[in-house]
Amino acid sequence: MSKYILNRLLIAIPTIFGVTVLIFVAMRVIPGDPLQLIFSESTGVYVLSDDELAAARASLGLDKSYPLQYLDWMGDILSGDMGSSFWTKDPISAMLIRRGPISAQIAVMAVLLSWLIGVPVGMLSAIWRNSLMDQLSRVGITIFIAVPSYWLGLLIILFTVLVFSWRPPITIIQLWEDPLGNLSMTLLPAMALGLPLAAGIARFARSAALEVLYEDYIRTARAKGLTDYLVVWRHVFKNAMLPVVTATGLALGGLLGGAVSVEKAFAVPGLGSLLVQGLTERDWMMIQNLVLIYGLIYIFVNLIVDVSYAFLDPRIRYD
Amino acid sequence: MKNRKTSRLNQSVSRRTFLRIVGSSAGVAILAACAPATTPSGETLATVATATPVPTPAPSVQGEGFMRPDGTPKRGGILRTAFGVTTSSFDIHQGAGPQILAHLYNNLVRNNLVDGLRTIVPDLAESWEISDDGLVYTFHLREGVTFHDGTPFTAGDVVATFNRITNPPEGIIIPMRSDFSMVESMEATDDNTVLFNLTSPRAFFLHLLAATNAVVYSAKSLDENGQDLRSVIAPGTGAFRFVEHLPAEKWVFEANPDYWDPELPYVDGLELLHVPAWSDRGTAVLTDLADMSWNVSKETWDEGNNRPESVTANKLANFGAYWAVMNTNKPPFDDPRVRRAVHLAISKQNLAAAFGTQELINLTRWVPQGDPNATSPDVLATMPGYREDKSEDIETAKQLLADAGYADGITGIDLLAAAGPQGELLAPAMQDMLKRSLGIETEIRIVERATLPSEQQAGSYQIVIDTRGHGVSDISPRANLWWRTGGSQNFTGYSNPDFDAQLDLIDVETDLDVRKGQIDAGQDMLDENPPEFLIGYTFHLPMWNNRVKGLALDNRIFAEWGRVETVWLDT
Repeated sequence: MSKYILNRLLIAIPTIFGVTVLIFVAMRVIPGDPLQLIFSESTGVYVLSDDELAAARASLGLDKSYPLQYLDWMGDILSGDMGSSFWTKDPISAMLIRRGPISAQIAVMAVLLSWLIGVPVGMLSAIWRNSLMDQLSRVGITIFIAVPSYWLGLLIILFTVLVFSWRPPITIIQLWEDPLGNLSMTLLPAMALGLPLAAGIARFARSAALEVLYEDYIRTARAKGLTDYLVVWRHVFKNAMLPVVTATGLALGGLLGGAVSVEKAFAVPGLGSLLVQGLTERDWMMIQNLVLIYGLIYIFVNLIVDVSYAFLDPRIRYD
Repeated sequence: MKNRKTSRLNQSVSRRTFLRIVGSSAGVAILAACAPATTPSGETLATVATATPVPTPAPSVQGEGFMRPDGTPKRGGILRTAFGVTTSSFDIHQGAGPQILAHLYNNLVRNNLVDGLRTIVPDLAESWEISDDGLVYTFHLREGVTFHDGTPFTAGDVVATFNRITNPPEGIIIPMRSDFSMVESMEATDDNTVLFNLTSPRAFFLHLLAATNAVVYSAKSLDENGQDLRSVIAPGTGAFRFVEHLPAEKWVFEANPDYWDPELPYVDGLELLHVPAWSDRGTAVLTDLADMSWNVSKETWDEGNNRPESVTANKLANFGAYWAVMNTNKPPFDDPRVRRAVHLAISKQNLAAAFGTQELINLTRWVPQGDPNATSPDVLATMPGYREDKSEDIETAKQLLADAGYADGITGIDLLAAAGPQGELLAPAMQDMLKRSLGIETEIRIVERATLPSEQQAGSYQIVIDTRGHGVSDISPRANLWWRTGGSQNFTGYSNPDFDAQLDLIDVETDLDVRKGQIDAGQDMLDENPPEFLIGYTFHLPMWNNRVKGLALDNRIFAEWGRVETVWLDT
């Protein structure tokens, strides 16, 4: 197993390198030059002349060749410097440390919620196939898969504001600072993310469980006299979880980077909204470093998912 | 499965039965949703663009001392605001958001916070004289003022500040530089007196100095940082001191105990919460997460108007506008007759109605409401191109098009707009009216907001819908930038020698009555040969908790996102 993990980590290196090259090139290629305009509330939009643009580039070190700029960036990353926001020089690492826990917490809560709801619903739907419960849950699954998280989030906000004159806080409250305040900030976004995710998980769980329920070993287990509970828990559940774990891993990887739409809906200052801001302002440094972080998260989460297969299915061994 | 307990939930249900149940429920839901939209009072919603009159500002007032709000101010508390507080840098002169950082600084003079911005009052300049020819402004500065780092404020700081504005060093980009192009030199005759020598008089010079971005930096800060304050929060002389900045989250300021006005500020500090979405700003105020916001969304503003027991909402003239910029470098809009036809035929009222769920647009002429030279709404309502009844204007417009050789209409016009409400609401409305009224067929092209400047500079459009604003209401600064032949922000290549000559007169006239006549004549020229189509200046919709006092927000004549040192909280 350790050899497998080491191999995966070694393979990750060229993957990360490819990601950095891709995002570096993309930032230089996509239209929209961050230096081309200065916008302020008082002056409105002011478009720089060619001379002003050249001077601005030089002042920010952007008159160097692209390979040199890339090497500078890589050198900083390897020395632990995540760089700074383009203009204001706000250290990106500080922003990651402050916002990352909030985005991660919302992601984890969403995934937990999705399992708490999705797995039982999916399993019961499979076990009680074609029952009223199965029909209702399939309608619910379809609805929540179709409903965008952003729209769900807006509905939640609308409801709480109009009915309770309350909305989740808009500044960061860390879990260790004020647990209740933190939950008031993260619970509703987690629900808005978790419910559609639960629908997807339920669907995966249902189809996987249906497949397993008609396997020979299940019939054998029943024939041996095992109770329904033991058949489901000991045999069906574990074997049906592989696709569910895969789906969860993919979802978690994306959510850990910050669920942009839900963060926007709830005005949560997380990683997702930071990325959107960076894209809007064409803050190359911010975007490059955030994408690098997301790449690392995906690789790490996928590794955990792959390793977990070995625990779920004894037939799977990594040598 | 064996031994399964059966209940309603796990009993088999046929698909046909299930679909019958679901279909009935859905039908009931659809019927319930089809009720007409009404306001809580029961009236049906309608959005109508009307020109809103604004009181004329009084001239500047000096020697009045300090700003004192009405009522009996209470001390204490933290004012929490909700609006967008990200900034491209920390240097206000180089484009940083003054609505964030101006709290740390002072100007020489400023708009009076307690009379609704009607007068210009002393700030760092206690008093001033203007020479008879309008070429020399002598400012007498307050004594005993210090920057937050303890450095004494002197006339040298004013000179250093405006030297950088008027003659920025290499690599320093000052958008407001052209506003001060008439300043020939400045001199500090002593520590508390500074002279501004102008090449030609300017009736609006004090307004330039009162603008939120015309703050005074210390010479020491400028020298220590190579004249570049983009990554430095330089100490100011303002009523608040910097405490903390959490990027894209909030700014925290504390009251300056050494502020030169012994009475101010009343609050202990400010928290500027970053809330970019307008609806979130409104919900923040409605739910008491924030005390005020400079501009909220229409729907939350409506809700605020329904809660007078807790919040107050207002509608203020703003100096930002939506424009349909026509490319005068290429046909057909290189012909003034075509541009005038568009100006006459397109209904500003309809465009405002189309955009009404998004933002309120005021019916204005080239000078916005809130400026003393604005055309009154009564007059505007009768003017061609501005009046609601378009029948005569459309006929005139069609004749103009025919004279220009486009009697059969025009096809293949590229109508560019940014993604978002401009592209979704304004562009289709414009497209529809151009086609119906003038037979001009357009193809809408939506681009990301960040790419609009490059498109504009490249001239790769025929009409572009954009938003543009200015900090000072006077027509002169922006007309020189946008509409003068060869203006630095004149990307369409508009050239009108008659207007250039008129602008030369407007720039230097100091008799306000004469100047108003000149501005009216200038506006006539712009109506006759429009550089672009003005959709309309917007309203800002501030909303605040009823405990927020001292800013005369219910009495302001225009929107200014700036300092708040006279605010107090009635808790």
